[in-house]
Amino acid sequence: MFAFLVARRYLGSNPWQTALLVAGVALGVTAFVFITALIQGLATRLTDDVTAKSAHVSLEPADRVARIFHNPSLRTEAVALVSTLQRRQIRAWTATVALLESQTSVTAISPQITGSAVLVRGEAAAPVAVTAIDPRQLDAISPVSREIVAGDTSLNANGILIGVRLAETMGLSVGQPVLFRTDRGIARLLVVEGIFKSGVQSVDERVAYLSLDTARPLFLLPAGVTNIEIKLKDTGQARSFAKFIGGATGLRATPWQDKNSGLADALTAQAQTGTLIQAFSLISVLIGIASALSLSANRRRSEIGIMRAFGISRNFIASVFLLQGLMIGIVGASLGCFAGYGLCSWLATFTKTDGTLALPIAPSEGGYALVFLLTTGGAIMASVIPARSAARLDALEAIQQ
Amino acid sequence: MTASLDARSINMTFRNGDELTRVLFDVNVTLAPGELVALLGASGSGKSTLLSIVGLLLRPTAGIITIGGERADTLSDAESSRFRNTRLGFIFQFHNLLPDFTALENVGFPAAAAGDGMNAAIRRRAEMLLSRVGLSERINFPAARLSGGQKQRVAIARALMNHPQLVLADEPTGSLDRASADQVLALMREINREDGTTFLVCTHDERVASHCTRRITLRDGRIDSALDTQITPAT
Repeated sequence: MFAFLVARRYLGSNPWQTALLVAGVALGVTAFVFITALIQGLATRLTDDVTAKSAHVSLEPADRVARIFHNPSLRTEAVALVSTLQRRQIRAWTATVALLESQTSVTAISPQITGSAVLVRGEAAAPVAVTAIDPRQLDAISPVSREIVAGDTSLNANGILIGVRLAETMGLSVGQPVLFRTDRGIARLLVVEGIFKSGVQSVDERVAYLSLDTARPLFLLPAGVTNIEIKLKDTGQARSFAKFIGGATGLRATPWQDKNSGLADALTAQAQTGTLIQAFSLISVLIGIASALSLSANRRRSEIGIMRAFGISRNFIASVFLLQGLMIGIVGASLGCFAGYGLCSWLATFTKTDGTLALPIAPSEGGYALVFLLTTGGAIMASVIPARSAARLDALEAIQQ
Repeated sequence: MTASLDARSINMTFRNGDELTRVLFDVNVTLAPGELVALLGASGSGKSTLLSIVGLLLRPTAGIITIGGERADTLSDAESSRFRNTRLGFIFQFHNLLPDFTALENVGFPAAAAGDGMNAAIRRRAEMLLSRVGLSERINFPAARLSGGQKQRVAIARALMNHPQLVLADEPTGSLDRASADQVLALMREINREDGTTFLVCTHDERVASHCTRRITLRDGRIDSALDTQITPAT
């Protein structure tokens, strides 16, 4: 293709200018890659932080809603009242657990009894949110064992695990007894078996763990559970899995995204900000290409005039400038992708004292294919204006200049 | 015999705002094949305008142009480009060559850009033409590094690339020193004599005209019939 040879020769005729132009494109692409990798890394870290310590899908008894029946042929309506006085629980939880165990996407299942209680020691009293679980599955949802700072996680018949802030407030230490009174009015003396420190103040101050067997008589649930917490292989599938399991069991299934709508909003806002920055870096790249090629077209007016005089078509001249844009786009985008990946990989080597990345960057998530296509396509579009102006040049006018 | 150029009743008026300026008045020019014609005239006489019109770079206000027996003034822009590429050759005073290309590429350019690129046949003809104009040693020389006379000889070779029926030259020696100008004029005369190529050379220089076989003089936009003469060119 002769136009390709001409375009290549034009770019090669001023190597410094071409190098600067390509460097400008590469820099814009590098910025795009960096922002994309940073936003993706940040989103992954935030999501991981949330999903690592909480259930991906929660199953609870369905809400009780009074239903209205109306018959158009009658002038009356019937209302089916549903008692709200009944205890909300999942009675057939073993069948639900069996169904969940058959799902390959499920990695952990934790049937739980949750409720409220008050810890009393002497004149001191503190409300706690209680989570009763099978001690063998203590770490199924949240890694409690790793957070133990005193005692152990055996959770015997009278055992209780409390947070470090609660222990300090109530002056409790491992082995000491404490009166445990549930919202059902039942009280029992439990022994502090372990103290954990999650690092989250509200958890360390207000959460306590019991075994399911200990909790049953205290919360008057001899057979049922209040909720079943589920972990999945892929957190991104939580919404679709919740829809499936909710439909299959009749229970209310809530994905983690719905329980953390603030996080979802933050991630959306973050992604939108990233898109704006990406768009600006691409626009600056395209303006650079358009202006450089426009200058080139202007500088070569007389040559274009000569070409037009000896009968070279307008399409050929336009294609020379479009091909220049294409080549600048391809080379600049390729160099920018390599530079961006190198920069992100280098930044990913910096860690904080706790071993986490100083910048939560994901080098593999730089949006390389997208930025390559956008830059190359954009470069062609940016060269349309100079290509058209070159092709429209009046031969006689250009020669006479 | 079909005339190389037959321009009939050519009129040209330029508009500048509300002002109309007529530069050509019913000009008639006929060039027989194999003629080497000097188009003479003072500055502003309209000779460059006439050359642009017969070169299909400018559309006349009125008139008929026939080149090699084919009506050319009614062609569309794209057809006119193709016509210029295949039937006409151009030699300009300035801006002759594409500086980023070699002498050979410059010569082959009109054929390569209109076809499938610089193929072997185009290369062979370009080499032959460069040899013909005495530049066989400069085939792969960058155009930007050639001397003025060499550039103009490359331009002559390029004008001949597509076997044109008519070569239009606009002050072809205007930017050359005397020795180079003489070489270029002798070359044009030689090609005209040996190949029978028709030339229309626009000039105000009597010395250039003396190398031609016929002279046509434009005076204030009109052909001076009394000065349309056959001459014996200087050798």
